[in-house]
Formats: sequence, structure tokens, C-alpha cells
Amino acid sequence: MRISKGALLVVIAVLIPFIVEFRTALSWFGIEISVLESLVLGAVVVLAIVIWAVWPPNGDAEAEPTGSS
Amino acid sequence: MRNAYVDQFPAEAKVIKAAFWSSFLALAIGGSLGLLQALHRTDVLRIMEAPDYYTVLTAHGVLLAITFTIFFLVGIFTWGVTTSLDRGLVDLRFTWGWYAMMVVGTVLVGVSILGGVVDAIPMNADVLFTFYAPLQPHPAFYVGLVLFVVGTWLAGADWFRTWLAWRSDNPDERIPLPTFMALTTTLFWYLCTLGVALSILLLLLPWSLGIVDSVNPLLTRTLFWYFGHAVVYFWLMPAYMLWYVMLPKLSGGKLFSDPLARVVFVLFLLLSTPTGIHHQYLDPGIAEGYKFIAMTNTMFLLLPSLLTAFTVVASMEHGARQRGGTGYLGWLKALPWRDPVFTGMALAGLMFAAAGFSGMINAGMNINYLVHNTWWIVGHFHLTVGTAVALTFMAAAYWFIPQVTGKELWNRSLGLVQVLVWFVGMTFMSNAMHRSGLFGVPRRTAEPQYENFAFEPAAGSMGEINAQVALGATLLTVSLALFLLNMVMTSLGGSSDEIPDNTYAETLSGPEDAPVVLDNLKLWTAIATVLVIFAYTLPLASIIDAGGLFGPGIDGFQLAIEAGPAFVLESVREVIA
Repeated sequence: MRISKGALLVVIAVLIPFIVEFRTALSWFGIEISVLESLVLGAVVVLAIVIWAVWPPNGDAEAEPTGSS
Repeated sequence: MRNAYVDQFPAEAKVIKAAFWSSFLALAIGGSLGLLQALHRTDVLRIMEAPDYYTVLTAHGVLLAITFTIFFLVGIFTWGVTTSLDRGLVDLRFTWGWYAMMVVGTVLVGVSILGGVVDAIPMNADVLFTFYAPLQPHPAFYVGLVLFVVGTWLAGADWFRTWLAWRSDNPDERIPLPTFMALTTTLFWYLCTLGVALSILLLLLPWSLGIVDSVNPLLTRTLFWYFGHAVVYFWLMPAYMLWYVMLPKLSGGKLFSDPLARVVFVLFLLLSTPTGIHHQYLDPGIAEGYKFIAMTNTMFLLLPSLLTAFTVVASMEHGARQRGGTGYLGWLKALPWRDPVFTGMALAGLMFAAAGFSGMINAGMNINYLVHNTWWIVGHFHLTVGTAVALTFMAAAYWFIPQVTGKELWNRSLGLVQVLVWFVGMTFMSNAMHRSGLFGVPRRTAEPQYENFAFEPAAGSMGEINAQVALGATLLTVSLALFLLNMVMTSLGGSSDEIPDNTYAETLSGPEDAPVVLDNLKLWTAIATVLVIFAYTLPLASIIDAGGLFGPGIDGFQLAIEAGPAFVLESVREVIA
């Protein structure tokens, strides 16, 4: 893993305010997305982060996560 | 050999444990009532009558903003003073005395509020956290508040006595940082509570007892906010203390600067109190010039908060680099995110940054008019006291309860989940509250659904806002239940040898680098007093001059209403008359 499981959970938690408010920010530019679309977008971003986090760094599947947590 | 706090100070550990559990009990009751309110307001679930909402709101505010926070912080400061001075309190009977006084005060206040929904209790105190006249509670409410506050005064005296005893043995030593923080906080607490004590003892209590016929509502409001803003810093300073003395250690490093930490606490001593009028921008009867002075003082308060953000983040970065972290931002990965104590405090600090931004809007005289008395304000203080303070305290409890009981934390992973669920729940709830305030959704209202009128959000719908609040409040309640479960199970567990030593962060730049004048508590108290005199003498004189000390014939009004047709008819008749 590229980051520890604890750090991954924290990243996902911190992402939530950005996902919630991304919809509001887009509306300033006249782009309206529905709650469902917002949820799907959030799920895709979370999935991408999870894949990035669990992907072995430099192709080394046995690599230890950075840091000791 | 184990060297936890309970091994070093077994008698003090018992007091701290009692204070923590008093705090958790208030948190459990007050937090659960919060869910009831959120579901009622958003019309998701209504199991109480509208008038009872105000009883519940009063209990929620008082139990969480006063009882939960202050019981916990007296425990924290007692730990900080005894640990950093490496000596026990001077007289444990005195210590148990102030704790008992706080408990009696809490019971009186709690029972008088409970009377709003329990017919068998012949009392009523539906006056909300701010107890603005002419709303009038039973005298027991005021007596309880006074006892509670006097209990905290005696707690402060206990810390000062212990420090003075230490100083006579160590005349040339600098005040250790945690003790310095506890003492400076206590000093501004004395200064600010003087206002509310005068208001209650000389004006409100005699009024509720019928000794005087009337009060001046603007005067009692102003005296409330004289205390009411500084109390925010009374809650926050222990959280700041934990960020300064615990987070660097948990990160694996040292506190970046002891002198900077002392400067921050001195600034809070100076500036916490002469700012209260910024809560009264919309109050008629206070001249704009006084409000402008309060705004200026408030903006100065951003400085110590920004200094804290810098110092704490620099300390965390130092710790992360000691743990092997590298890069401009890559060091963040090296922090101990699996530790609920660290993660809870770090997320609380992050939320506090957001609270600082909304606080700047509250503090600005012109833009405050947009959000005054709206749900924005509620969103704001759920980020400050509801997260920066509450989440820090809950995270700290995962370290402190093992320290004062000698028992290992029951479930660390559950602790991590708990702090994350709190963060996510508060994101939903406070975010929606802030947004709804921008389009005028009022606060302190049981049922803000009106006929022939619809709120118009800039984006989304009112239904989504309500859904976010209900979801957030539910997540917060789940988080609260997980926290209490962990605390109960930890306390039921057996003694363990695996408790970490009772220590706090060392410093990169220590007290020897701090100017000696920073430790001159008399000087800073004198300056703080002068600033308060400058900020308040003329406004108070003007209020008394205009409305009199006891006001222009203001009768008390008790909210124990019965929402039947007879009451409505009577109200209409009174309005017409």
C-alpha cells in the first residue's frame, strides 16, 4: 500500500466535504448536477483513491506503507 | 515498571476521573437531545410538542456548552498542573469541595430545566443557553449556575495554590508550559465571569425571586456577552493546550516553540473578554462606535489562532520527519493516522480552521447582518465547541482514561472509526446549517416551515439541506454512542501494564528562549483589566443611562406555555390590546 489504512480512511473522510460542496461550487458556473450524480462522482473519486492507495508502489506488491502508522 | 498518571498521582486521578465521567454523562444526555432537535426541526421525526423543543434546546445548550466542556477541562487542567509541576494538589479535600460544588450546581440547573417537560417538578427554565431577560427561569436555575461558576473559581484557586507552593520551592524556575496555560486561562475566566456573576446575583436572581420588579434586558444581555464570548476561549484553551503539548508528542516530535505558545496564551488573556459586544451587532441601544471597537478587538484575536495553526502544524511536520516522512506534503503520510488520539485532534484542528473562516464573517459588522440569528451561527459553533473542542476532548479521552484508570483502551480501531464518523457527521450537519443561514433560515425555532413561503437556496433545495442536517445529526449520535461504549468498556476492563508513560511534548525551542516578562501574570492581568475597562465602561454607562439599572418595567416571561386554543386566543387578545 502507498499509505496506511488509517491514513486512507482519513483521506476518504476529508474528501466528503469537498464532494458535498463541489456541487455548490459548480452551480456558480451554471452547471447543475443532481444529488445522485454527485454521489456517483464521489464514489468514483473514492474508488480511484482506494485503487491508488492499494496499488503497490513501483510494482512491488510486498512494499510496506510509508510511515509507521 | 508502569508510570501512568494514576501511579504518580493516585488521589488526583480519582478527582479527574470523576470530572471526566460527569462530563461524559452531560455529553450523553445533551448529545442525544441534539438528535431529537435536529429531527424535529427538519420534520423527519416529531415526537415532542413544539413548546418542548425549547426545553430540549435549553438542556442541549447548557449540558454541552457548559457542563460537558467545563467538567472535562477542569480535569485536563488538573492533569496539566500536577504533571508539569510534578507535585500533587495542595489539599485534596478542597479539590473534592469544588468538584462537589460544580455537581450540585449542575443538578440544580438540570432539574430546573427538566421541569419544563416533567409536570411533577414545579420549576421551569426554558430560557436557552443565553437566558436572555425577559425570559425568566426558576431561581434554582440561576443559583445552580452561580454554584457551578464558583466551583470553577475554586478550581482555579486550587491550581494557583499548587503553583505558588511549587514556586516557593523553585523560585528561579520558569512556569512549566501546561501550568502557564492553565493559569492564564483561569485569569481571563475570573475576569469574564465577573460580568455574568454580577448580572445574576445583583439583577436576575433578585428579579426571579421578586425582590426587584424589573430588569434592563439590554444590560443583562451585555453582561452575558461580556462573559459569553470569553467562555468560548475557556473551552478552547484546554483544546489548544492538548494540541500544543500532546499532538507534537503523538506525531513523534517536539513542540516547535514554547515561547510562541506563551505569547498565544497571553494574547488570549488580553483579548478574550473585551470582544463580547460583537454578539450584539443587531442590538439597538448600543452605539455603532462601541460595536466597531469590539470588532477590531475580535479581529486581533485571529492572530493567536493563526500563530497556533503555524506552531502546531510545524510541530507535526517535525514529528513526521522524525518518523521518516519526506517531501513538501509527503510527510503527512508519516503521521500516526491509525491512532484515534492523534487523528481526532488533527481533524478537530482542521475543522477549527473552517470555523475560523465562518467566525471572521460573524465578527465583521456589516456581513454579520446577513447571518445574524440564522442557522449559519449554529453551524459555526458546532464547528468550534461541537468539533474543535468536543472532538479534541473525546480523542484526548482515549489517552486520558487509560492514564487515570490504569486500564488499557478497550478498542483503538473503534476509536478511530468514532472520530472519523464525528468528522463526517459534522461535515454534513454544519455545512448544511451554514448554507441555510445564507438564505435566511432562522435559528432557535422549532418548526421553520411556513405557509405560502419557501426558502430559496442558491443551489439545491431546502429538502436536501434538511436531509443533510438529519443525516449529520444521526451520524454524530452514532459516533457519540461508539465513544461512550469505548469509555464504559475501558472502565470495566482490568488493570494493564501496557499504559504509556504520563509525559507531554518536549520542545525544540524551550522556555529559556522566552522573554521572562511573558511569565509576569500580574502585568498581563492588569493590561487585560484595562482593556476591559476601555471596551465596556462607556457602553455599560450608556445602557444604564438610557434604560436604568433595573430597566423600564420589564416583567418576567416564562415559556411554560400550553399550545391550546385558549392560549392562542389569550395571546391574540394581548397583542390587540
